[in-house]
Amino acid sequence: MPESHRPDQPRKRLVVVGSGMATTRLIEELVARNATATPDGWDITVLGDEPVAPYNRILLSAVLEGTHRPEALTLRSPGWYADNGVDLRLGARVLGVDRDHRDVMLVDGTLIEYDALVLATGSIPTLPPIRGLVRMDGSLHPSVHAFRSLSDCEGLVEAIEAIDDQGPINKRAVVVGGGLLGLQVARALGARGLDTEIVEGGEHLLHQQINTSAGKILARDLKKLGVSVYTGARAVRLQSPDEPATPGLSGIGSVRVLDPLPRNPGKVALRLDNGFNLDTDLLVLTAGGRPSTALARGCGLEVRRGIVVDDQLASVTDPAIHALGDCVEHDGRTTGFVPPAWEQAGILAGILCNEAVKYDGSRIVARLRATDLDVAVLGDAEREITAGGEVVEVSNPISGSHRRLVVRDGRIVAATLVGDLSRVGLITQHFDRQTVLGAHEPGNLLMPERSGEEGSAALTLPDDAEVCACAGVSAGRIRACSSFEQARDTTRATTGCGGCAPTVRQLLGSRPALATSQKGS
Amino acid sequence: MDDMTETSAVSTHCPYCSLQCGMKVARKGRVGVEISAWDEFPVNEGAMCRKGWTSGELRGSRERLTTPSIRDRATGELRAASWDEALDLIADRVRALQADHGKDAVAVFGGGGLTNEKAYQLGKFARVALGTSQIDYNGRWCMSSAASAGNQALGVDRGLPFPLADIEQTDVVVLVGSNLAETMPPAARHLDRLRERGGKVVVIDPRFTSTAERADLFLQPVPGTDLALALGALHLLDAQGAIDEEYVAARTTGFDDVRRSVASWWPERVERTTGVATEELRELVALLAGADRVMVLTARGAEQHAQGTATVLGWMNIALALGMPGKQYAGYGCLTGQGNGQGGREHGQKSDQLPGYRMIDDPAARAHVAKVWGVEPETLPGKGKSAYELLDSLGDGGGPKALLVFASNIVVSAPRATHVTQRLESLDLLVVCDIVMSETAALADVVLPITQWAEESGTMTNLEGRVILRNRAVAPPAGVKSDLDVIAGLAERLASPIEFSIEPEEIFAELGRASAGGKADYSGITYQRITEEKGVFWPCPAVPQGEDQHPGTPRMFTEAFATPDGRARFLVQEFAGAAEQPDASYPIHLTTGRVLAQYQSGAQTRRIRSLTDEGAFVEMHPMLADRIGAHDGEPVIVRTRRGEMKAPARVVSTIRPDTVFVPFHWVGANRLTNDALDPSSRMPEFKVCAAEVLV
Repeated sequence: MPESHRPDQPRKRLVVVGSGMATTRLIEELVARNATATPDGWDITVLGDEPVAPYNRILLSAVLEGTHRPEALTLRSPGWYADNGVDLRLGARVLGVDRDHRDVMLVDGTLIEYDALVLATGSIPTLPPIRGLVRMDGSLHPSVHAFRSLSDCEGLVEAIEAIDDQGPINKRAVVVGGGLLGLQVARALGARGLDTEIVEGGEHLLHQQINTSAGKILARDLKKLGVSVYTGARAVRLQSPDEPATPGLSGIGSVRVLDPLPRNPGKVALRLDNGFNLDTDLLVLTAGGRPSTALARGCGLEVRRGIVVDDQLASVTDPAIHALGDCVEHDGRTTGFVPPAWEQAGILAGILCNEAVKYDGSRIVARLRATDLDVAVLGDAEREITAGGEVVEVSNPISGSHRRLVVRDGRIVAATLVGDLSRVGLITQHFDRQTVLGAHEPGNLLMPERSGEEGSAALTLPDDAEVCACAGVSAGRIRACSSFEQARDTTRATTGCGGCAPTVRQLLGSRPALATSQKGS
Repeated sequence: MDDMTETSAVSTHCPYCSLQCGMKVARKGRVGVEISAWDEFPVNEGAMCRKGWTSGELRGSRERLTTPSIRDRATGELRAASWDEALDLIADRVRALQADHGKDAVAVFGGGGLTNEKAYQLGKFARVALGTSQIDYNGRWCMSSAASAGNQALGVDRGLPFPLADIEQTDVVVLVGSNLAETMPPAARHLDRLRERGGKVVVIDPRFTSTAERADLFLQPVPGTDLALALGALHLLDAQGAIDEEYVAARTTGFDDVRRSVASWWPERVERTTGVATEELRELVALLAGADRVMVLTARGAEQHAQGTATVLGWMNIALALGMPGKQYAGYGCLTGQGNGQGGREHGQKSDQLPGYRMIDDPAARAHVAKVWGVEPETLPGKGKSAYELLDSLGDGGGPKALLVFASNIVVSAPRATHVTQRLESLDLLVVCDIVMSETAALADVVLPITQWAEESGTMTNLEGRVILRNRAVAPPAGVKSDLDVIAGLAERLASPIEFSIEPEEIFAELGRASAGGKADYSGITYQRITEEKGVFWPCPAVPQGEDQHPGTPRMFTEAFATPDGRARFLVQEFAGAAEQPDASYPIHLTTGRVLAQYQSGAQTRRIRSLTDEGAFVEMHPMLADRIGAHDGEPVIVRTRRGEMKAPARVVSTIRPDTVFVPFHWVGANRLTNDALDPSSRMPEFKVCAAEVLV
């Protein structure tokens, strides 16, 4: 915890390592609390190792898909930081933290002292154990792309858009990893016209979020969109055609029974542990990330999967050091999503401003961001089922939907919606607000919504039913009229908003003229 | 013609909403009036809703007040009194209270139903005859958030900057929180004509209303999240490159900051916040991006929030980013609610304003208005409190000890009404001018019977900024006087340094001079011009003699905005959400609104027999009804932290399952509503709070 300020003391110094989305939100929350402007506030330094201003990382797959302009990613300009008195240093890589001297050292030797330090170092992509992925000099094979940063995204877009006189140079891609990011990237590559395949080591797609039947439905949806899926298979070796052939690896195409398309020989071949051999031009790694904890480890903080923090989002080892976002482990859990990172940022800003707040975990809603792939995962279904949650589900593999709610004490504590997102907004509201539902409600939420009102029911309206609300005219009074004109003149029906004109025409049995009213979608 | 109709019909306007439908009124029999269509008036072309057609029924009704009454100190009952006795009593008590407690011990509360002349005189009366800074009006509870947003972003606040009929010519109209098919039915014809032309209608509302039935796209957000929806729509528009960069560069400032601020509102985040599925948001954005002309219209649903101003600014940002304001048949507009909601806010009954939309803390404005009034600028009081803050401070609240109420039924229309009623009851003096014994009048120490629309002349300014003329068609009943008579009578008794006219046309000419050079400049408008031109749009400045008269301004912003540099302002808006969020004790969203057959506090419409008055109801979704065991037509209790009410359930599948709706025309709904205020407009959060619903 920061010490309270005395007038004779200099302003407290807050150093934030990392300039990703969690940090951006933290600074916004501090600025909103005037914490950079008041005498007892903070002097803030933000150290970002990427050379560009903070941007919205989670939209990178939309940039890849071509539905989001890269320029529209920037969250805050460097000028904004300056205007608010925040020292934003881009391209500043931190070498280490000295907890005794309370300073951090940059790779260029600069020392920056802190009173409070925030580690928002995010996560780093996991490199799957595939032989040939990394070249002798330590760099990735030129056909291999990670997908974490804006520069990764730009590199991949460049590779997709590269053409020679034969057309696109890269026509095929294999995505390693069938998690949320993998699906988004695969969908984006497919939408860009690449022949795309996914390799996932788990038994089905999104295996951390959804069950087998939902995963199968998802794989089928993807296939309809032209993306083939290999589950239960690990990539083991990447090989260029100019490398000497390994025995047993030459049967290109022989096992691609799932692939209806004629294939060009690829630039590289990816061998799977089930013997499949995938020709491809590009290999994109999305096989998850792990909390980036090297700095924390280096200075002796307790690190398990992530940097272990308490309810004040402070390291359990050193209360002067806080951690935020993907690098955090709280209550045995790491998250890897933006919304919880932002919740933490809001709470940490409060903590740094001496508000009586604490972090007690986040509700996770994971939504796939990819055109024509409908997936929403709320909470942790397996954990909730283990804790006694009851499952209400509607599965229709024929139409390709799987909808499942986990309900405990009348509350939706987890949900999986695949292939049909109707009522996703309402279900999310109930989940987030922990609304206590009635006994029939979870079931009703999964039933189809009633499609609007009944169309031409005018003929069955009882005589006392109000037809024209503007003038207060009943069906009976309309029926007593001989023509539309008479109804209009004697009852004033249709003369107000005009919305009842079709009903009046139906009641009078006259031919409908211009259609002036349709039901909403 | 039946021979009881002695006079020919007079062209005037409906007494109710801001559409101010043209109508003809003729005397019928000894006391009655006959309403007929005025087909030539362009806004409604003869169409009216049943409120308009039946508006004459209070004439000759036993409900009409026709004599002043005074509360007898011995019995506590109201007794009839003469006008002189009543006005003398008020003046004596005002003098005594001001002598003991200072000028601000007396406050004035006006209404958006007053004519421009009355609103103007009322502001002048407060500042000059009473010398109090404590004046405000119920328009704060109407469109004040849109007013505040318009001033900030466009430099001026005129509800619609174009004639209403322009809707027919646009490509896409987006209605944010408007149920115009019920609240101003004849306006819905413009939507129908737009659709016949192939245009699209988007309706955004937590309820699938009669307006939504006309929609090509209907979005049903969680109450209080319209701003998040706007941020998400702008996010996608920018992501797709649908921004009119040329317009933004040439006619606006501040877009860069707004652009970055919406980078964090991706569709899935919007979905989680608003309950609107990403697909629906994308449909909205596709409509907006594909249209040459877009019109964004907000109403109370978007505005009556603690973030009402921010919400309107968020939607204005969309209109600006698409390059719409100032373009023909496109732009942003607010659908004002009350009959003179627009004019009522321009002439000085607002705590911080002087006539012509001048600000009371601007020395030049004070000097100009003081000169027209014939007083010294230093004698004008400063800024007072906003409507709710004023009411909250009354009596026991440590503020004013007397309140004079004109054209408002506070007991029904104020938020957190039980508390406000207690404040009213703690006053030393409550004076209410009204045409019927409203719930507020029933609490008063003095009640004064006032003319209704057909019995008086004066101007109103409709939702388009069109100044129109209300013409006297019949004489008022004996014993009934105009608000103007009350003001003049009290001013005289209080030895005001200046005289107060009771002649509307004379007052209008003075109002014109006072507004000259202000944003809402009426100085070139005359009764004659209004009659000849069927209304004149402000600003319409007077011109030196010999020059062609100013034509008025039907369409604004064609060349420049009303800001000092002529550019519209993009302003960054952060979404905070409703002030009161549902929790375990109060798990349901409560929203409030109107029904077709009633108007505002219902003081008039509930007394008109031809209008159905089934009382309040609690609209809820079958899923919620099933959860709590409610049945259609059977009573349920709605409870919030501020009060409770009981009314029959109305079970419909057209409302969000997490929300209930209660109409506010009856005592009850506003006992529940939240008094959290918008920081800039001081609008209370009528449209959403947390409630418990039980049988």
